[in-house]
Amino acid sequence: MLFTLINSLTLGMAVFLVAAGLTLIFGIMRILNFAHGAFFMLGAYLTSTMVQDMPGSVWILIGTALVAGVIVGLFGLAVQHFVLSKLDGIDEHFMLIATYAVMLMTVGGIKSVWGLEFHSVDPPPGLDLGVDIFGTFVPSFSLFIICAGGVVFLILDYVIHRSWAGKLAVAIARDNWTTNLMGVNGPLGTKIVVAASFALAGLAGGLLLPNQTLSPALGDTFLLMAFITIVIGGLGNIRGAFVAALIIAVIDGLNTYFLPSFPGVIIYVGMVACLLLWPNGILGESRL
Amino acid sequence: MSSSVAERHSGREQALTLSQINRVLFVAAAVIIAAMPYLTNSGLLYLVGTTLILAVYSVGWNFLFSWAGLASFGSGGLFCIGAYVSAVALRAGWEQYFLLVIVVATLAGAAVAFLVGFVALRRTSGIFLAILTLSLAELLRHTLMHTRWLGSEDGLPNITRPTVSFIFFELNLKSGPAYYWFICAFAVVMLGICWWLSHGPLGRRLQAVRYDIERASFVGIDVHRNRLLAFVISGAVAACAGAVYAPWAQIVTPELSGMIRSTQPILFTLLGGLHSFWGPVVGAFAFMGIDYATRTLIGIQEIITGGILLGVILVFRGGIVGSWNALLARIFPGRGEQ
Repeated sequence: MLFTLINSLTLGMAVFLVAAGLTLIFGIMRILNFAHGAFFMLGAYLTSTMVQDMPGSVWILIGTALVAGVIVGLFGLAVQHFVLSKLDGIDEHFMLIATYAVMLMTVGGIKSVWGLEFHSVDPPPGLDLGVDIFGTFVPSFSLFIICAGGVVFLILDYVIHRSWAGKLAVAIARDNWTTNLMGVNGPLGTKIVVAASFALAGLAGGLLLPNQTLSPALGDTFLLMAFITIVIGGLGNIRGAFVAALIIAVIDGLNTYFLPSFPGVIIYVGMVACLLLWPNGILGESRL
Repeated sequence: MSSSVAERHSGREQALTLSQINRVLFVAAAVIIAAMPYLTNSGLLYLVGTTLILAVYSVGWNFLFSWAGLASFGSGGLFCIGAYVSAVALRAGWEQYFLLVIVVATLAGAAVAFLVGFVALRRTSGIFLAILTLSLAELLRHTLMHTRWLGSEDGLPNITRPTVSFIFFELNLKSGPAYYWFICAFAVVMLGICWWLSHGPLGRRLQAVRYDIERASFVGIDVHRNRLLAFVISGAVAACAGAVYAPWAQIVTPELSGMIRSTQPILFTLLGGLHSFWGPVVGAFAFMGIDYATRTLIGIQEIITGGILLGVILVFRGGIVGSWNALLARIFPGRGEQ
């Protein structure tokens, strides 16, 4: 039972790491970014190239993940500059499809650089074994992911809701025009938040890399789960995304426990139920 | 596409109007498609047949999008339902009732679309509807992947192409070309029905709702009911296309319900031309051409496809049909519809 719970919590936090960036870009630009999964994958591939088969230590893994995040963030700036900023104020369906096109191009780029074969990377020494909690064997890498999810949530929540920069970002998201009038560089702020969103995707890719099978289809799985997370939690709401990730963890745990022959099915049922009960998400839609 | 009023005004004086140019192109394309079995090998024939089915499927999706203004990202699920119904029935040996099987599959798709639409359309729209439908299709895919009697992840192979018996004669669809012509007939019938629906009272009502939902309901249009009707029709067309697809591919897998299949009509419609009836058809064949030309370039294929899509969204928002009509209007100014 505890083992199932830890496993589900790992999944929940992994999904939160991906969903965090997704909800951020929705908060600032009202864009549901289909390309997020592809950039998540790009982060994972970049990290795998840097660490080869196995990262030397936990810190090397975190360091390379950060570097991958920065690189993906730069890609995000380019996407924002050439695509997203051109689409301001048009039908939201075009936005969806534009990000879908960016996703196709990114996946294509990954395929042509890294090829189609599967890669896998082992967890770094120190995280490759397990620990014993109340007589249950728990892989220490799962604990690492759970901690990483928690830390990323706390940092994001602090930056958005407590810091000056976060308040500026919220102001831009709520009313770009008035904020510009107050002497804040709105377009620059938007760019920074978009870059941060992409960087989070890259970081998540790097952190979740060990124990994943790296293939060009990796992005889709996580993308859909992240979509579900932010829809359940309330679009653009970082706290909502965290709560929803926990809910997903519980639902997935129940699924594995009671319906092991249909893994991953109940999440969708839960998502549909949540959406019909709370059409704007559990914590409501928010502009950051 | 062709507005008869404009024809009446300019068609009598001018030797060649724009709609006539398009009509000539249309007939030529139809003749080439019908003559395909004599022109190509079986590999390419399979590709063209699949494209025809997907074109019908996309026209059904576009009916929902361009007419009712609702974007479903889960139409692949309904396509998949139709394909599985047809696959199960044909494997059970009901091949002489193939036409009935198609009707049953269509009704199954319509029923599922009704259930989904009845609950979802009142509560959600826009992005939420997109995610909801995407998730439902994914739910179906995961369920199929773990359902033993439907073949789990491997799907159902060895679907026999049927021999359909009517009262007086028998129609043997076992060979490739024979089934291909059956697909052509199917496409003509379905496109005809969709054309009739799009340009009839229902299509008008839906467009009124799309332009201004409040005014439409003010003049007495039941918004929810009409949208639901469009949703059901779109689902029925998708399931019908799926039912015809199963014996053509001779295998069905849970991947039919995947995101790729669901986003296909979106890409076709966008490339071909939004708010145009023939847009998805043109787009489907254009995509087939691009795919076929770049089939050996792994990775580059996606980059090209994505690049073209971006180009369409950023520069040519009217797609191929829109750009073509604009081009014609430019070359022959004052000769046709504006």
